[in-house]
Amino acid sequence: MLKEKFVPVAIDQAYQRRQKDTEGDFYRKIAGASPRGDGSGGGTTQGLYVAAPDGSYLGFSNHRSPERIRRLLLDCLSRYQPAQTQSIRAEKTDARYNPQPPKGGLVVRVQAKILDGYQPTDDRWKKIFQSAISRDNLWISGEEHRSLARGQVPDILQRRIARFHLVDNTRGEPPMWKMAEIRKLEMRIEGKSLRGSVHLETSDSSRGYVAELFGKLQVKEGQVTRLDLVARGDFWGEGRYTRNAPSGKFPLAISFRLADGKDVADRIPPQGSRGWVRGYLTE
Amino acid sequence: MSRFHGGLAATLFVFSGLLEGTLPAQNASPLNDEEFGKILSEVNTPLDKPWRQVPWKISLLEAQNQAARTGKPIFIWAMDGHPLGCT
Repeated sequence: MLKEKFVPVAIDQAYQRRQKDTEGDFYRKIAGASPRGDGSGGGTTQGLYVAAPDGSYLGFSNHRSPERIRRLLLDCLSRYQPAQTQSIRAEKTDARYNPQPPKGGLVVRVQAKILDGYQPTDDRWKKIFQSAISRDNLWISGEEHRSLARGQVPDILQRRIARFHLVDNTRGEPPMWKMAEIRKLEMRIEGKSLRGSVHLETSDSSRGYVAELFGKLQVKEGQVTRLDLVARGDFWGEGRYTRNAPSGKFPLAISFRLADGKDVADRIPPQGSRGWVRGYLTE
Repeated sequence: MSRFHGGLAATLFVFSGLLEGTLPAQNASPLNDEEFGKILSEVNTPLDKPWRQVPWKISLLEAQNQAARTGKPIFIWAMDGHPLGCT
């Protein structure tokens, strides 16, 4: 039904509810007509919305039950009356919330999976979270791309990988690592292999990750054509929005693969860059 | 964020792990070509999952434009953290 009867769009509303541009206006028009409100008070507007092409509000839900979502869709379809509507052109684009990957750089898909450690459960939702594979993107600048092609992993890139991508984001938005939480970090290219190790830990030792990295790199005519990397190690702790991690230390694996642009998710900015792209790329 | 307190994420975007047989880290041998290949393929979203068959757009204006052309309503999955780019 979703594929055939609707135009489905997925967004991080932390952008759209703040955007001072055409898209932001359109989103706030819809959200503002819902029980959520338009977020002008600073609160989240997350949820599921259905709207007519002109932005007229049709329905909202913030439930994950497939049955309730199906009811929402059917209810909205029953009340929706198609009408001639003009396409909206982007008269204004808020650059802060429309970041683009660095020119001449690379986009790398990053996924994480907890390999073991959860207590067995019969809970439907816990089971899903316990087996989840996360997804984020790593952005590599043009200069860093050239360094990789020369067989070097710049320190700034190592830090970005560690701080923003060696995280447990399998249950939601994770806390990123602060600079001071990098206890040890080393990555090097040996021929066509990439090797390294990392020790990340908070000052109170409540959260940490000690891992080994191993990868493969291929370069053709100055361009990186393969960049596959895995990290595997022991993670411990959780964040405000990543509750219910396994207790104690648990094995966490993270994979990195060069994106080919065929997946729509390849276009999504890194989670760690949200509202702060410059800091993500330059710190 | 509270994306999973009431969101659709768990319904559509998380999926079963495939890592039976992968060693816990504390008991694992150093990463080598074999382990590397195993993790790389297993920590990777399968293409045939139903949520990946949905033709998601990530631009609301692109969605509006398509909706205006086709006369279909827009379904917006709005979360804290990008639904397609986090978990």
